[in-house]
Amino acid sequence: MSKYLGLFVAEATDHLAGLSAELVALEKAGAEGGATASVVDGIFRHFHSVKGMSASMGFEAISGLAHRAEDLVGALRRSQAKVEPDTADVLLATVDALQAMVTASASGTPQLPDPALLARLEGVAERARGASAAPVGPAPPVKSLSVEAPPEAPPAPPVALPDALRASQEESPSPAIIQVSVRSDALPAGRREVAIDVEIAGTCPVPAVRAFLVLKKLGSYGTVLRSEPTASDLKAGRIPQKRLAAVLESAAPLQTLERVLRQISDIGAVSLRESEREAPAPISQPQPTSPSEVPAAEAQRSIRVKTELLDYFLDTVGELILATARLREVGKMIPNPFRPMLDEGVDRLNAIVKDLHDKVMAVRMTPLAQLTERLPRAARDLARRTGKQIELDIQGSEIEIDRAILEELGDPLMHLLRNAVDHGIEPPHLRLLAGKPATGRITLVARRERDRVLLEIADDGKGMEPEKLRAKAVAVGAVTAEQAAVLSDREVLQLACLPGVSTAEVVTDLSGRGVGMDAVKRTLENVGGTLEIDSGRGIGTRFLLSLPLTVAVQPVLLVLVGEEILGLPIAKVHGAAQVELARLDRSQGTPLLAYGGSHIPVRELGPLLGFRGLAPGPVRSVVITEGDGGRVGLAVDALLGQQDAVLKPLSPPLDQVPGLSAVTVLGSGRPVFILDVARLLVA
Amino acid sequence: MTKRVLIVDDAIFMRNMIKDIFSGGGFEVVGEAANGLEAVEKYKELKPDLTTMDIVMPFKSGIEATRDIIKHDGKAVIVMCSALGQESLVMEAIEAGASDFIVKPFKSEDVLSVVKKVLGEG
Repeated sequence: MSKYLGLFVAEATDHLAGLSAELVALEKAGAEGGATASVVDGIFRHFHSVKGMSASMGFEAISGLAHRAEDLVGALRRSQAKVEPDTADVLLATVDALQAMVTASASGTPQLPDPALLARLEGVAERARGASAAPVGPAPPVKSLSVEAPPEAPPAPPVALPDALRASQEESPSPAIIQVSVRSDALPAGRREVAIDVEIAGTCPVPAVRAFLVLKKLGSYGTVLRSEPTASDLKAGRIPQKRLAAVLESAAPLQTLERVLRQISDIGAVSLRESEREAPAPISQPQPTSPSEVPAAEAQRSIRVKTELLDYFLDTVGELILATARLREVGKMIPNPFRPMLDEGVDRLNAIVKDLHDKVMAVRMTPLAQLTERLPRAARDLARRTGKQIELDIQGSEIEIDRAILEELGDPLMHLLRNAVDHGIEPPHLRLLAGKPATGRITLVARRERDRVLLEIADDGKGMEPEKLRAKAVAVGAVTAEQAAVLSDREVLQLACLPGVSTAEVVTDLSGRGVGMDAVKRTLENVGGTLEIDSGRGIGTRFLLSLPLTVAVQPVLLVLVGEEILGLPIAKVHGAAQVELARLDRSQGTPLLAYGGSHIPVRELGPLLGFRGLAPGPVRSVVITEGDGGRVGLAVDALLGQQDAVLKPLSPPLDQVPGLSAVTVLGSGRPVFILDVARLLVA
Repeated sequence: MTKRVLIVDDAIFMRNMIKDIFSGGGFEVVGEAANGLEAVEKYKELKPDLTTMDIVMPFKSGIEATRDIIKHDGKAVIVMCSALGQESLVMEAIEAGASDFIVKPFKSEDVLSVVKKVLGEG
């Protein structure tokens, strides 16, 4: 950029000299009764040129001041009013200030404009605008270059960096995603209506103009029957959703239209749909609450249902499943001649109830898109606030999950995204130093694996440091030094989920310090999910969320303690073993079980639950499950097997008992508590 | 084949900058014009594959020049160079037949990405 500096100073100085002469001419003409339009035009052009070239040099203060002057002259031009002497005065003073700033910038000591001058400019501009037939908005702050931009428009993009003209290492903006959905019927030969939905890229500084260009280009392939926003809305800068929906009557094949759209820059997702002439797709603002854009015909066949009603259905179906299981148990007591008939009836009832359950679950399934569509905007804002460059790639947002789980996922996802931006991705200069692209990449990939939904959030940032985490976890008393020492690096990473543990060196308003990761983990576990952390220094961090498709039915492991049956969520069970506790090594009195290459503390489940008078035998069944910040072995009397349990939330006062998360009813009618092991251990 | 570019801007500074961007991006800059009148003349003479057009210029604005060029050659590819705050002017230029626009201050990769797309190469 420095190679342009000399030319910039010379040319800017020329313009400013020209301005001085023309302003004097303007003042003279004003005194003689009415400035000629051409003089005003010339003045406008000079200020405009100075604005443009200084912005290109990255001299924001100069371009901001020139912009204000240009704005004032623009208002004068529109109002065609007599130019007051003080107007010329203030413009001349502005020219002098600009000259001083240009000269200073040449010597590498940029100057800011005098606030008093800005105030004078503002005052005169206010008056000129009052006289103007077509009022413009208030002058923007000096930093902004925008004045006619719509209120919804994003802030001006960062002014070009000094090295912007070298073939920079920065990655170009992410390629536009073009999705074309074509209905299966063949393309008709003649003109038909095509519904087109175009998303303007969030990075586009002038979305209304972009959308206008799209309309114009589509117009050359047919007739735009209607659009939202309309062309005149766009001319006024109105495009609140940064989306354009248009209906085009055209004979052009969809491929042609798609290619035309593909040639336009700053376009995000595009969808083209041939619509029936009789039933044109209604154009409406996309509803942020609707799962996705539903084709018109389908939309008409859908109804909205209160979510409470869905919860009630699920609850009732759960009761039906339990009642059926109870009937089956009772049937076992019926004498043989009648039993097959009852069994047959119960089987049939069971099949119907299962089918009903599936349907109710299907109704509750909601695409992840409902959550993920907020993330790109959040990532953009976070990136701006932290001065980092972020590219967010989301895949699999069409995957569906029970809405009860979806509702719980919002905060954890946002927190993980914030964490990735704030603590994961490095500032651009550090990334370049580390040999990475300046733009950090965050990926969110969702996929379905059998009856679970796996969500992976990964960044290519600096990664976590196990040693620091280990030290911190010990320092805050979350684990003892001995416990920390035996943990593998991978296990240490999971310590980040303990309250108060985080490697963040700087507390920011974005992610704070360790607050939240424990909440994230707890929230996920409450819906039957798990969280795993994987991280490589300098490579990045990966969070793997495994979630059940539905909340209500979960596989549980039934265990016996004394005479009590208890359930442990299978999702958190790693394995089981038969051991003689007396023969295990001990650390501070706690037996340690060698399992999977590490030593796991073993606790008796009975005393943890406050059971008394138990007489456990020498050989115990130990269930290895996830405890509070690491694995723990729970010693029980017997393992009774695995079962799909319909979980029912606990009602007061049972919900106040630490360590109990839900209750289920066995076929025998016996209620069984489901344990929250992590909470049980801290209680 | 190397695409030929005509650069129209009243500031030498901007012309040089844009010229460097295109030369660096594998284009051939075949001519420059400092105002709308010159732009129309040069276009007829050079028949470039692409023209970058400033909007605010003396004698004849970029919008008028675009209108004249399109009248002469309906297939002309003209990319407007605009600044923030010129939204309505850019839309006027689009109505006059401009193919696309870039917003100052621009980065070289943004400029090249826009023109490559417009030329169907992106």
